[in-house]
Amino acid sequence: MKAWLRASPDSHKNRPVNRGRTITPGARDRAMRTHHVAALAMSIVLAACTHASLGARAVTGESPATEAPPPAAIEPAPAAESPTAPAPQPAASPSVTEPEGGAANVATPAAAPSESVPSASSQSGAASAKPRPAKQATAPKTAAVSPAPAPAAAVAAATAAALPPSKAAGPPPLDLKGLEQRLRDTRAIGLFTKLSLKNQVDDLLAQFKAFHQGQPGLTVAQLRQKYELLLMKVVTLLQDGDPALASAVSSSREAIWEVLTDPQKFAAIGYST
Amino acid sequence: MPARSILGLCGLTLLGLTGAVLAQAPSTGTDLKATIALNGFPCDKVVDSKRNADSDYTATCKDGNRYRVYVDANGRVVVKKL
Repeated sequence: MKAWLRASPDSHKNRPVNRGRTITPGARDRAMRTHHVAALAMSIVLAACTHASLGARAVTGESPATEAPPPAAIEPAPAAESPTAPAPQPAASPSVTEPEGGAANVATPAAAPSESVPSASSQSGAASAKPRPAKQATAPKTAAVSPAPAPAAAVAAATAAALPPSKAAGPPPLDLKGLEQRLRDTRAIGLFTKLSLKNQVDDLLAQFKAFHQGQPGLTVAQLRQKYELLLMKVVTLLQDGDPALASAVSSSREAIWEVLTDPQKFAAIGYST
Repeated sequence: MPARSILGLCGLTLLGLTGAVLAQAPSTGTDLKATIALNGFPCDKVVDSKRNADSDYTATCKDGNRYRVYVDANGRVVVKKL
């Protein structure tokens, strides 16, 4: 300990001695090289940091733009629907199976006892306002697979193309036709299963049709429960074999619900029993 | 050594491709199991299935329950417990 205390003043004393040395040109060059290398490394690191921060800004800058397209996107898809189109989409309730209760019922309280359809859709829209930004990350896959043939969809696509690149990269519109085709084409579920799902989708659509016609029966909350249950079945069946499609279906949950609960949008999909 | 490595890599690639192809096509048992479950019946696993006709199967589940799964004239999938 004492030796160390003694040594440190000595080493301290050595420094002024070093400062007093005469600096040779070679030593100066070496020092300059060291400084140049350090400066180069610092500039590279700074450039990398700047690039990374710019990239992060670009990504976050897209999120505000992504919120605009979905509402406009919901309308084109229903217009493109054929009478058979709604069947495979995640929207059916088990006709054979009894309603199993609230296992899948997350949003039921939001849609609860209101009987009028407009209020129901507005409620669901309000309820869906929060989860949407999270869902939009997976949505692009849907539009990339199948183009919407409807003129309205073409207009939406043209609008998206006219936007700046950062905005055009936002979430695509709800493409019911594309989702339907992907469900038809997926090999994650078998033929019997697809047919069973289609039966259940048809049953739920029939119940929605009865609801919109004012027939006494199910309430919005009950329809929402059945819808959630069926959607959960679809996602469960898809998530192992076709996770991309499962994600697309799951992310379209609220948009599809809006189509189902809005009488005009529901009529536009052309469902008939 | 390089030849062995290349052969091993090719073998692994083929195995991976085979797995992917197999994963894409669900077996009849898997399809029947999902169908039975979708229609509200319990079935952990289909251990045996017999084809009666087109779109008409008899499935035996692991718990011993047997179901007839078929498509009726209206195009609906029907599951009947036997």
